[in-house]
Amino acid sequence: MAGSTLELKRISAVSTAPPGVRETTVVSKYIDTTSCIGCKACEVACQQWNDLPPEVTVQFGTYQTLPDMTPSFWNLIRFEETEVDGAQAWLMRKDQCMHCADPGCLAACPAPSAIVQYVNGIVDFNQEHCIGCGYCMTGCPFNVPKLNKTTSKVYKCTLCVDRVSVGLEPACIKACPTGCLQFGSKPQMLHLAEQRVARLKENGFANAMVYDPPGVGGTGVVTVVAHGDRLASYGLPRDPSIPLAVTLWKKPLKWLGNLGMIAGVVVAGLHYLKFGSKPEPEAKEPEK
Amino acid sequence: MTNGWNDIANADVILAMGGNPAENHPVGFRWVMEAKRNRNAKLISVDPRFHRTAAVSDVYVPLRVGSDIAFLGGLIHYSLSKKRYNEEYVRHYTNAPLLIREGYSFNEADGVFSGWNAETKSYDKSSWNYELDGQGYAKIDEKMEHPRSVFQLMKHHYSRYTPEMVSKICGCSVAEFEKAAELITSTYTPDRAGTIMYALGWTHHSFSVQLIHAAAMLQLLLGNIGIAGGGLNALRGHANIQGGTDCGVAYHNVAGYIAMPKSDQTSLKQFLTAVTPKPLRPNSMNFWSNTDRFFVSQLKAYYGKTATAANEFGYQWHPKIPQAGTGYENWSWGFLFDAMYAGKMEGFLNFGMNPVSNGPNSKKAIAALSQLKWMVVAENFDQETSSFFKPEILATIDKKPADVQTEVFLLPAANFAEKDGTFTNSSRWIQWKWKAVDPPGLAKPDHEIIARLFLRIRELYQKDGGKFPDPIVNLNWWYSNPVEPSLDEVCKEINGWDLTTGNQLEKFLDCKADGTTLSGNWLYIGMYTGAGNLTQRRVNTDPTGLGRYPNWSFNWPANRRIMYNRCSADSKGKPWDAKRPTIAWNGEKWTGDVPDYKPDSAPEQGMGPFIMLPEGVARFFVPGQFVEGPFSEHYEPAESAVVNPLHPKTSSNPLVRRFSTPHDKLGEAKDYPIVCTTYRLTEHFHYWTKNNPYNMEIQPEFFIEIPEELAKDKGIANAQMVRITSARGSIEGKAMVTKRIKPLDINGQRVYQIGFPIHWGFLGRGSQKGSLANLVTPTILDPNSFAPEYKGFLVRLEKV
Amino acid sequence: MTIERYSFQERVIHWTAGLTYIYLLLTGLAFYSPTMWWIAGMLGGGPVIRYWHPVAGLAFVATVLWMYKAWRRDMRLSDLDRKWAKGIVDYVSHQDHKLPPVGKYNGGQKQFFWVMFYGALALLASGMILWWTEAIPWSLRWVRFAAVLLHVAAFLVTVAGFIVHVYMGTVVVKGGLTAMTSGKVTKEWAHHHHPLWK
Repeated sequence: MAGSTLELKRISAVSTAPPGVRETTVVSKYIDTTSCIGCKACEVACQQWNDLPPEVTVQFGTYQTLPDMTPSFWNLIRFEETEVDGAQAWLMRKDQCMHCADPGCLAACPAPSAIVQYVNGIVDFNQEHCIGCGYCMTGCPFNVPKLNKTTSKVYKCTLCVDRVSVGLEPACIKACPTGCLQFGSKPQMLHLAEQRVARLKENGFANAMVYDPPGVGGTGVVTVVAHGDRLASYGLPRDPSIPLAVTLWKKPLKWLGNLGMIAGVVVAGLHYLKFGSKPEPEAKEPEK
Repeated sequence: MTNGWNDIANADVILAMGGNPAENHPVGFRWVMEAKRNRNAKLISVDPRFHRTAAVSDVYVPLRVGSDIAFLGGLIHYSLSKKRYNEEYVRHYTNAPLLIREGYSFNEADGVFSGWNAETKSYDKSSWNYELDGQGYAKIDEKMEHPRSVFQLMKHHYSRYTPEMVSKICGCSVAEFEKAAELITSTYTPDRAGTIMYALGWTHHSFSVQLIHAAAMLQLLLGNIGIAGGGLNALRGHANIQGGTDCGVAYHNVAGYIAMPKSDQTSLKQFLTAVTPKPLRPNSMNFWSNTDRFFVSQLKAYYGKTATAANEFGYQWHPKIPQAGTGYENWSWGFLFDAMYAGKMEGFLNFGMNPVSNGPNSKKAIAALSQLKWMVVAENFDQETSSFFKPEILATIDKKPADVQTEVFLLPAANFAEKDGTFTNSSRWIQWKWKAVDPPGLAKPDHEIIARLFLRIRELYQKDGGKFPDPIVNLNWWYSNPVEPSLDEVCKEINGWDLTTGNQLEKFLDCKADGTTLSGNWLYIGMYTGAGNLTQRRVNTDPTGLGRYPNWSFNWPANRRIMYNRCSADSKGKPWDAKRPTIAWNGEKWTGDVPDYKPDSAPEQGMGPFIMLPEGVARFFVPGQFVEGPFSEHYEPAESAVVNPLHPKTSSNPLVRRFSTPHDKLGEAKDYPIVCTTYRLTEHFHYWTKNNPYNMEIQPEFFIEIPEELAKDKGIANAQMVRITSARGSIEGKAMVTKRIKPLDINGQRVYQIGFPIHWGFLGRGSQKGSLANLVTPTILDPNSFAPEYKGFLVRLEKV
Repeated sequence: MTIERYSFQERVIHWTAGLTYIYLLLTGLAFYSPTMWWIAGMLGGGPVIRYWHPVAGLAFVATVLWMYKAWRRDMRLSDLDRKWAKGIVDYVSHQDHKLPPVGKYNGGQKQFFWVMFYGALALLASGMILWWTEAIPWSLRWVRFAAVLLHVAAFLVTVAGFIVHVYMGTVVVKGGLTAMTSGKVTKEWAHHHHPLWK
């Protein structure tokens, strides 16, 4: 996380309300998978802006750079060869942090201030406060955060918060040659996406859709897909939400547990006040 | 490009064929996407592979490598037979109504045109010409009904290219072809515009010029040349390859596309007579009648004050192509390396090139370099050519470093970002760029290296004399810093100035044939006028809203954004499409884009719209210019898995000359049954980015794309090592088993196609393993352009 | 007159288990609730406790396993213990004379032992998964989720046992703490609390 001038909206594991009075627009990326050509300019732009070293890769039988994102590779174009209604299709999607409005990583994080959500919707990791526990990796419904084993810190796309907070677009957006990536306010991006989907439907893509899953409160990445009936081909979960385990743990179990522990101590105290210690056995004269 | 990158956003139908613009021109491809997004334009991708462009296309048609002319011929036939052509356009703006001499014919059974001499394997092209009247003008039948009118001859010639024949040759289904044809030819109406984007997938064939000719014919039929959103657009691969071509990089041209003098053109007058065309129609502007002005001004730029009328402006010092047999010597790439291989060359200056990697038939190139006495390479990185003597590279031709005596000098050169200068892009914009960083260490920009070499050589000639010192000692080296000429001064000189007034030339006809003006390249006149260096202009206003940006840099010719734009208006001067006007006649003059026409010539005067052609109209029938025929005809690649279904007797291009060294073997389908092609990736730039860790990260290793069906036949698993072998050599790499290349049914025969990208080799980061694509490609050259046939040859495939 | 209730080795193991459990409890509480995060600061900061928590966990489990090996026979629940357990209200209200006599360990102690034993196993299994989250492939992410729940649940169960154990051992039953420090109890104490202990 770079020092940001934005106000905080939510802070992980801090119970007081975040300070702030200004209204800020919620920002969003727009990814149109139907005009992405998989050029990977965003992959390299991301690494260069964020000073991330190149990964040593091997050809593993695909155009895709790596099987998955890594702690120093936050933006991966996923390629999938498939057939749709008998016609060849080569689907490409830019995979990265989705910047959920209701972020599972943040919900799961035990370290105060390690994960924050700014008022503009950006979900950011603060490695200074990260303890490397990896709970965010369990909490994220998109399998995004990646642990660097050397530094024991977790990393992911920052939505270039350092650029955005000074009025620039994220590096990936800047690098995109076809305009399949756009950046702006969430309503603007949704509008753009809806227009594009309408055009796709008109062109015969009956299942075209805007991917902005409500299960996580919507995402800071609005994705247009032509084949909404085949989300798995794009590597997108159908109805992502914060995992039930994380919700259970962070809400009822924590509440019950706190109650239980306090009750345990209180009951012990009351017991002592009422009954005291067990009576001592009477001392007998030691036998000779 | 006849149009420009931005103008593609104005198209309704975009045919990407012979190219993969999404892969190789991702930045320019934005305009395709704009057209798709904003106009709901349809993108059609026709290619052997379902590639990055196909992935975002609306219609994809698979075809066999090298069958493009058949496909385009099919489109021409479709357009003509279904009357889906712009008749008024064809009548007024093309040579369709002109009559051809008696005696011209095409022998459909043998696949040769009239005038064929089977012994010398050449044509007597005299019958491929217009029937002239007494004044030397081509005869015309405005109704285009005369059996010898170009229109009728064309109709007849392409009547064989039925959808069924296209399917038989190309391997796509009739339905696939017809779906694409319907869409492509839908642009024949005045309110629709269609563009074609092509690149090396068309130019790397042994019939590449005819292929582009066929595409031009199609666009002319549909009325798509000269209009916004139309055109025939060559996507140039390197940042400045357009500039190189414009400025005479090809051996047979001097700057500005004027033919290189030949040794039997012994006087300037004789040369100018030979290269200046005479008008073939009374209404022809015939702009090339000004060739004398252009060429004399160029000689003045070369030789300065020493060029005078008395010494033919130094014409005798100008290089000339020597005669050889009945023709002239050929100094194009393939012939150059053949001569080098034969030991006919002593030295070689190699700038910004890596012939071992990027030329065809790498083994022959390595063997040829080892015949040299010396070689100078100016480069950013050590590369396969400057290191050809290393054991692992020489091992490909079974030689050891001790066997080679070539002395190699590797000069560190600055790269593009380390020097100022201009790039001329595909849109023909001459754009200045500013140096970003200083070159490291002792690296110097190319022009400084050349200047220093020149100054030393001139000094030697001045001191010691020599066989023919005049061209060197008389060279006009006027720059304020002779060691490192200012590129701004060079631009000034390329544009040229009036020697009497000292003023920069403003327009083409400012240059004169009497030696009072100087201009390095007439075509670039206007780029550096009295207003300054216009290549540095960055005004991004777009008054028409059609993406023309008239004050952004300088667009040759004459800052014209769309070439042949007279055709964008009908014969009365009214734009075909009022929503997309390019130029229009306002009663006094042509307004809009810079007209590609006499600016004050009223439509009623009927001047021909193609002012550079002596007939004033575009050519369906090309009289004599191309070696293998006036119409495009489908020929198979030199190595082909199938026999030409149209005329088995003449299966491949009969004009292709084959070299005779042991490295120039061609394979046959029985030994090498698989059709193979080569290509480039968006992740890399040529053989250069293998030195960059990020490029290597996103595309680390050489691979071979193999159809699933073929992989199954051969038991090849994804990412497994496989070997490719052609008659020239073999390479190994990882298999990429894919659904994106399908086996084709060609005339009842199953044809497998595979392909692999170039970009790797012996040197660079990561594991290069000698996987150099061109170890397997043949030195087969197009007989017009001499471009090698990198795309379409035969191999066999096996597991390692 | 005193008799040996716990050998030196037993006491070392017990206190190792006790101290590691306390460390795990404190660090675990820091992870568990932001209101307890101050503990992290006291113990060296988040990354430090994140590093040592699983290591201490391994040590704790090792001691539990040792105790299992050494004490599992003694801890076998019998009919007597079940009978004893029915009188738990009497035990809590110090009406011990109403309870059937017990041996070296009473039913409560035995149950606590098994709670801690199975709790430790559950904490180990889930803890290993949480320790190496990235090693669990995304397709098996339910394992991660299960681990989160199991770890918290096992923690809560053991902490309940722990509170009772500490309270009983230090406050309620006088002599319990010294039994675990010196290893010795008086004969009377043994007779009183564990009459059938031989």
